[in-house]
Amino acid sequence: MTTLRVALLHLRIGVMNDLQYRVNFALQVLQSALALATGLIVIALVYSHVAELNGWSQSELLAVLGTQILMGGVIRMLIQPNMMRLTEDVREGKLDHALTKPVDAQMLVSVREVQVWQAVDILVGATVIAIALVRLGGDLGVFDALAFAVALAFGAVMLYCFWLLLATGSFWIVSMWFLPELFEGVFQTGRWPVGIYPQWLRFGITFLVPIAFAVTVPAEAVTSRLEWQTLALAAGFAVVLFAFTRWFWRFGLRNYTGASA
Amino acid sequence: MLGHVPSKRERDFLRRISLVMGNRNQLQWGLPALDSFELNRSIYQIPRPDFVALRDELIALLEIGDLVRKPVRQLSLGERMKVEIVGSLLHRPQVLFLDEPTIGLDVTMQKRIREFVALYRQRHEATVMLTSHYMADVEALCERVIVIHHGKILFDGDLAALADTVAAWKTIAVVLENGAGDLSTYGDVIHRDGDLVTFRVPKAETARVTARLLAEQDVLDLNVEDPPIEDVIELVFAREAVE
Amino acid sequence: MSTTPITAPLAQVNRLRSLVDFYLTTMRTAVQQQFQYRAATYMYLVGMVAEPVIYLVVWSTIADQSGGTVGGLTAGEFAAYYIVWTLVRTMNIVFTPYGWEWRIREGELSGQLLRPLHPIHYDLAWFAGGKVPWVLFYLPIAVVLTLVFNPTFDVRPLEVAVFGVAVWGAYLIRTFNQTALGLICFWTTRVGALFQLYIVLELLLSGRLVPLTLFPEWVQTIAWFLPFRWTFYFPIQTLVGDLTNAELLGGLAMQVFWTVVGIGVFSLVWRYAIRRYTAVGN
Repeated sequence: MTTLRVALLHLRIGVMNDLQYRVNFALQVLQSALALATGLIVIALVYSHVAELNGWSQSELLAVLGTQILMGGVIRMLIQPNMMRLTEDVREGKLDHALTKPVDAQMLVSVREVQVWQAVDILVGATVIAIALVRLGGDLGVFDALAFAVALAFGAVMLYCFWLLLATGSFWIVSMWFLPELFEGVFQTGRWPVGIYPQWLRFGITFLVPIAFAVTVPAEAVTSRLEWQTLALAAGFAVVLFAFTRWFWRFGLRNYTGASA
Repeated sequence: MLGHVPSKRERDFLRRISLVMGNRNQLQWGLPALDSFELNRSIYQIPRPDFVALRDELIALLEIGDLVRKPVRQLSLGERMKVEIVGSLLHRPQVLFLDEPTIGLDVTMQKRIREFVALYRQRHEATVMLTSHYMADVEALCERVIVIHHGKILFDGDLAALADTVAAWKTIAVVLENGAGDLSTYGDVIHRDGDLVTFRVPKAETARVTARLLAEQDVLDLNVEDPPIEDVIELVFAREAVE
Repeated sequence: MSTTPITAPLAQVNRLRSLVDFYLTTMRTAVQQQFQYRAATYMYLVGMVAEPVIYLVVWSTIADQSGGTVGGLTAGEFAAYYIVWTLVRTMNIVFTPYGWEWRIREGELSGQLLRPLHPIHYDLAWFAGGKVPWVLFYLPIAVVLTLVFNPTFDVRPLEVAVFGVAVWGAYLIRTFNQTALGLICFWTTRVGALFQLYIVLELLLSGRLVPLTLFPEWVQTIAWFLPFRWTFYFPIQTLVGDLTNAELLGGLAMQVFWTVVGIGVFSLVWRYAIRRYTAVGN
């Protein structure tokens, strides 16, 4: 359908645009390397004091780290740029450009920006997961791999919905510039198994900010600890959240008036 | 400059100059201009009675009494320019650097700003160093003009002299009873629109050509003008490109 | 207009008094501005708290799993460490190299350089003033954290006094270090990479990530020779650790030392940066 084609076209243009800036690639690699090194050092430090954390071994925790880095890459590559642009457009009254195009507005505002070089993190994350698997014995069953991919997809959808809900909030609360940093801080909770957090925090990072679904659940899948009930819950929550987000988006649009300077 | 070496950035030197940049503000964004003025007072160490007197005077002159109490981000571009200029004059600078001060402003506001700066210049014998793309700014504020292109000085002198050097002509625009026919004996015909004809004549010839036109043609309307400053400047740059 | 003749010499000003006046005025302006933007400040504070809370939970879990303590610290002591951490963090937030990048890009720097006061005074005064509202906004968050995580505290009056000074020492050291880094923007727009490296080193070697005693010996030795430990670990320890009077005062002396080093490095870089700026233009 046309919406899909338009989406892919936008993606391609965004990628070509970004590819011009090769220096950004080098910088991104450096950044990712530093973040990875820090993560590995912390894990090494933790496991110099204990043998397992909340039931997770060091290699299993590596898988969690890898998943968090991978998801982070997805967020910073596709989700965050679009949502931040959306809040900017609303604040500066430029959203009309998107609204007057003959494609679904939600689709358009969700795909027109892409930060190609953040894909480095996706690769880094995948590599770390692979290394973790090797250290765990080396084989990944078909079902586990499938569950992993599916869990990742659900997680990504949920994170997208979360971001879109916040960005839609900018129709009412105009200033949202602190979002990336705020999210980055909270997203760091994903580096650790969700079980170590106190009840209230665990609830928060599962259902309010869907980090548990985006990181811990796929990590559980890839380390063969996933129970099918959890995956079913993820599926259900993803569907409900997506429907709610769609409704909220359209509600926000109806209320939208160009906030000009 | 002013007896100091600028690159040394001595404090006494810096206290005598001021910089205003069009479209960029140096006042605190989220606070009323009055608070920023207070900040400037402490940066330049302006004695309080002098500060209050000059501040109130400038505010009255530009009629920004209520504007200075609103956060700067709530002001329009023109209003922001006004408060910026007041902020930059509070320490009574002898040299005022204006970098594109009227850019983005509407015509009325541009005029207002020009008038104000000219007035300040006059009353305080200050020097204004202006960079601008608007020739109207140049005409209103500058006696001495320096044209710089790619780092080379193409011209340095009077504005009037500039026109004489580069574009020593005038334009005569006439509306004739009958605009057809060959009118080239009067001068270069640079524009023709039915009965409206515009000539370019060498400056020295202007009186003679005008007299001839009035005598020999049926003239309904006549206008004699200096070449617009924009054209003059364009010529200066064009000459440089050729030489 | 009033007619003070323009050729009269400028009123001679007492340098110290004018500097004090400037600092007070700027700090007051900063306070006003921070109150204007309190919603944004709160958002930032909440995000900032996420970092130490995560560390706190992780190490408390390890402590509980390991029979109560790890590295000699109980869960309660970790809670105390990281809650004081948040206060120290609030106090040591300074103008970053990204800020310098923005300053140059937006053309604000030209204006700054034409003022008769060094931009560093503005930054020092501005961020110092901002601390007042920030700490005020932060206090409720501290109360919540205390209620949730049950820190164990044991402080003496001298420790509180030293803490009050130490946080400003941390502020100064970080200001001068990060300004020196920020000035590298005069040579390249890619200062972000260098700053990231700095932050990672600080994270590991300053006590920002974990109390330094949890690191292996050799890391702790390295940390002694760097300024980082005096920006997080030392201020936190004045309240949370059991430092002797000698250690408390000696620590302050070390902060003075590293501040002086910071000023030295910064002044040197500034001299070259200014030369470069006027040579290259903006």
